[in-house]
Amino acid sequence: MHGFAFVAPTAQAEVTGLLEEHGSEARLLAGGTDLVVGLRTGAIRPRVVVDLKRVAELRPGLSDAGGRLAISATTPLSRVVRDGRVRQWFPALAEAAATVGSIQIRNRATLAGNICNASPAADTVPALLVYGAEVVIAGRAGERRLPLDRFLLGPRRTALGRDELVTSIELARPGAGTFAAFGRLTRRRGVDLATISVCCSVDAAGVTRFAFGAVAPTPFLVADESGVLADPDADPETKDRVLAELTGLARPISDVRGSREYRQAMLMVVSRRLLRSVVDGRGKG
Amino acid sequence: MIGTSARRVGGVERVTGRQRFTGDVRLAGMLHVKLVTLDCARARIAAVDTGAASGVPGVRAILTAADLPRPIPRYGPTYRDRPVLAVGETKFHGEPVAAVVAETEEAAEEAAGLVRVACEELPAVLTVASALDPSAPLVQDPELRPDDLLGRTNIRREWHFGWGDVAAAGADCVVDEVYTFPMVTHFAIEPHAFIAAPDRDGLIIWSSIQHPYLLQAAIAEVVGLPLSKVRVFAPDPGGAFGGKQHAKFEPLLAFLALRTGRPVRLALTLEETFQAVRRSAFEIRVRSGFRSDGTIAFHDTECNALMGAYADIAPRVIAKSGYLICGPYRVPDARIVVRALLSHTTPATAFRGFGTPQVAWAIESQMDEAARRLGVDRLEIRLKNLARRGDEVVPGDRPADGDWAEAVSRAAAAIGWGSPLALGRGRGIAVAIKASATTGASYAIVRLHHDGSVTVMAGTSDMGQGARTVLAQVAGQELGVPLERIAIVMGDTGSVPFDLQTSASRSTVFMGTAVLNACREVRRQLAEIARELFGLAEGEVVVEPGIVRAPGLELRYEELLAQAWGPVRGELIGTGVRRGEHVPAHPLGGPPAFYEFNCTAVELEVDRETGEMLVLRHVSVADVGRALNPAHVEVQDEGAAVMGLGHTLMEHLLLDEHGRIRNLGALDYRIPTTKDLPLELRSLLVENGDGPGPYGAKGAGEGGLLAVAPAVASAVAEATGAVIRDLPLTPERVWQAVEALGRGGRPDPPAA
Ligand SMILES: Cc1cc2nc3c(=O)[nH]c(=O)nc-3n(C[C@H](O)[C@H](O)[C@H](O)COP(=O)(O)OP(=O)(O)OC[C@H]3O[C@@H](n4cnc5c(N)ncnc54)[C@H](O)[C@@H]3O)c2cc1C
Repeated sequence: MHGFAFVAPTAQAEVTGLLEEHGSEARLLAGGTDLVVGLRTGAIRPRVVVDLKRVAELRPGLSDAGGRLAISATTPLSRVVRDGRVRQWFPALAEAAATVGSIQIRNRATLAGNICNASPAADTVPALLVYGAEVVIAGRAGERRLPLDRFLLGPRRTALGRDELVTSIELARPGAGTFAAFGRLTRRRGVDLATISVCCSVDAAGVTRFAFGAVAPTPFLVADESGVLADPDADPETKDRVLAELTGLARPISDVRGSREYRQAMLMVVSRRLLRSVVDGRGKG
Repeated sequence: MIGTSARRVGGVERVTGRQRFTGDVRLAGMLHVKLVTLDCARARIAAVDTGAASGVPGVRAILTAADLPRPIPRYGPTYRDRPVLAVGETKFHGEPVAAVVAETEEAAEEAAGLVRVACEELPAVLTVASALDPSAPLVQDPELRPDDLLGRTNIRREWHFGWGDVAAAGADCVVDEVYTFPMVTHFAIEPHAFIAAPDRDGLIIWSSIQHPYLLQAAIAEVVGLPLSKVRVFAPDPGGAFGGKQHAKFEPLLAFLALRTGRPVRLALTLEETFQAVRRSAFEIRVRSGFRSDGTIAFHDTECNALMGAYADIAPRVIAKSGYLICGPYRVPDARIVVRALLSHTTPATAFRGFGTPQVAWAIESQMDEAARRLGVDRLEIRLKNLARRGDEVVPGDRPADGDWAEAVSRAAAAIGWGSPLALGRGRGIAVAIKASATTGASYAIVRLHHDGSVTVMAGTSDMGQGARTVLAQVAGQELGVPLERIAIVMGDTGSVPFDLQTSASRSTVFMGTAVLNACREVRRQLAEIARELFGLAEGEVVVEPGIVRAPGLELRYEELLAQAWGPVRGELIGTGVRRGEHVPAHPLGGPPAFYEFNCTAVELEVDRETGEMLVLRHVSVADVGRALNPAHVEVQDEGAAVMGLGHTLMEHLLLDEHGRIRNLGALDYRIPTTKDLPLELRSLLVENGDGPGPYGAKGAGEGGLLAVAPAVASAVAEATGAVIRDLPLTPERVWQAVEALGRGGRPDPPAA
């Protein structure tokens, strides 16, 4: 590993100041489960690493107010998985977060780190997209918010400006009658990155949303507003046609985790299965 | 003591992180080494510019081939073909062009990144097909083997084994298929680490090595020192699996130590271990003839094994596995052609199973194919052909030395062979034998101290297989000493007597016998002392474990020694030897000391839509002669089974067109985790006391992985109808195979 300066500021203003000063030469450290891997392989060679875990404004935690849940940037995924509100209101996020790495990884890794790392295969992103998550961003000039799909620009690319960091992720509590589930395919059962991942939700109005991961430069959201997919009595072939249209929007690549053809086919299989379980769950109320 | 599951010696240290591995050794004034490598497999080296790198603070030396003696020193256990540093051309991705030595690891790494190598990438030989192509570039300079008729090919060596007359043999059914087994890496949890230090007029080497005495000889030869001036310390390795048998970068470190006059250390990263060792990939064509009742008529086989750029011990692996490719069966006629092919890839070496998993994959899959075509049950066809005790498996060689059918029957019973199967499930059963060590020499010293405690000095490496424990158990049994009063000294060629190697599941048989003989020698000395002390005649003294008896006399060893020696004290030193001599006329230099037989049976479920498999039950039955420590044998067997599931279901090294490993590292090279284990894993032992080792033991610890792949593939075929002949059976590959059967109709399940 090459040498770098390590700073652990206690105030958010110091963080934005350091970012403004060093620009792309600075890297933020949350759980470090992506960052340290990059430092070790030399994929990134920052001059300054800025630890976020001592920043007073960024204390780990989840808070809810006015039907919105805010997850601070330093909250480890294990806490997200355990949180009662997440489990009740955003069960698919709890499922997705619980698949990330291992217990050890989840005790360090943060939700914010998962999105800021901007991997096409980030497991929490499909769930966050389906739930319409908003990213809260702070910079020298103040705070702004972006819907997650506008925050993610491409592999390893986000909408963060030179002096900006993510301070929290916010989710609006879904209306009654929304059901969702997350599923993914991996090469083995223990610790693995997704070959493909899917989150599916059906709301009270019968709109079905899917977000697909690891099959495009960023995970992306699609929807069926016709109500066909949500209809338990619709005939399977019609459903498959709609599903094929939606999954057909994916642009998977071939790599060591799977071929394009396999990914495309599995997207359909996993989507169909998830849809069935969500629609069944909804049927049972 | 023998036959009890004594606690592992050093086990607590291993699991609490207190064990000191080679990588933990720190010496005063020690320097750190980083290798300089190129970004492709094969390139012509035009110039090496070390200017910028030398300027990094803390850099003490940068060695290139130009700094080494001419001709460049070469080493290797089979052929002296591997240069200490690449000369003129790199031959595989990761082969060092230069080595940087610095005060810190960070400085060495930074400087290594600044060494500029002007080079030109050249086309590389990366597959069996290209290695066999007469127009392909030669991996090795023909000058390295001027008298070899194959010198101008990439065939490093070719063997022809067999018996009878395949051409004349008739058959009712002929199965002719090709099977592939990819490159996989050992993935020992402890990456290789090496230290070399000048020691007055000699050298000391620390290495996580399985064969310290062969390393000592290799270093002595390459730097021109007598054996007595090279001392090898071999701290217990953290897993080895064959990947730490022979010298890797120790010769380079020896030159660096001599040049800098200081201790030098190199600890590989996990990624670098992938580039340092791997298993040979095989492409095997088998044409097999069967009678209509399933009796084997002949096997006609051609094994093309892809070694790397340098031979290491791979030719031995390839010859030995090819020689026994027909497996534990009676085969009337066989033709066996085996080739060891050079390629521009990581040098292949020994790997747990020593080539048997590759050949068993082919032959056992042939047995299944024949069973399906002939409508014979897959268990039945095996029992029908299996060699019974005393039957020859290779004419003229060691005959079957166990009740193998008993092992097969137990596996079949444990998996519920023949009972109804749930939808989507299948079962498979497969067998294999591995020839154990053929030749070799093990020497042991057993010291009985005057307080009755014991020190055993044995050159075996305990790399996790439990050698320390089992050798202590042998000494404890023979001398009646509890394990807490026995010390085992290993891993120091300066004080421990010679052992050829720790491999081929040989240590319990070879070193175990040497220790046993050394203990018996101590007992002989005790009898002599008692006779002299009490004026007794031959035959009047009986030395039992822990006790010396004579008419009217019963003394513990330490009581006898105290009476004999008084305040002057002393110790008894027993030496023991077990040798297996070289037999020049034998194709492998000697018959195996025993066969390691295994039968593996599995039941699994396949998700036809995704190709995912879940192994519900996995049974491994090993014929171990006698389990000296049943718990250890079982965990070795289970570990082997899980390792076998790795190469069966997920492991393979994928190369890009430049010969670089695409899945280089833990992220994309998958080995099984605890979550990937079968829901139920059972290891059963057959113990008939019929082995050549102490108390009838045979070797164990490799068997569990020999037959996993064919058993699993057989189960997948039963569950889905899809027969797969290429490993690993990844979900994607299973999915493809199921898809290929045709989208609409579900094919009939195989007949048997
Ligand atoms: C063994 C292993 C297994 C893994 N398995 C999975 C898996 O199954 N699924 C999966 O999705 N991921 C997986 N990962 C990746 C990783 O754990 C996750 O992406 C994790 O959520 C990253 O969070 P972190 O807090 O560790 O981020 P860090 O490593 O600290 O940071 C990641 C990136 O985000 C930036 N960053 C972090 N916080 C902020 C912030 N508040 N504002 C702006 N930028 C920020 C950092 O500068 C860095 O570039 C795995 C990693 C490992 C090592």
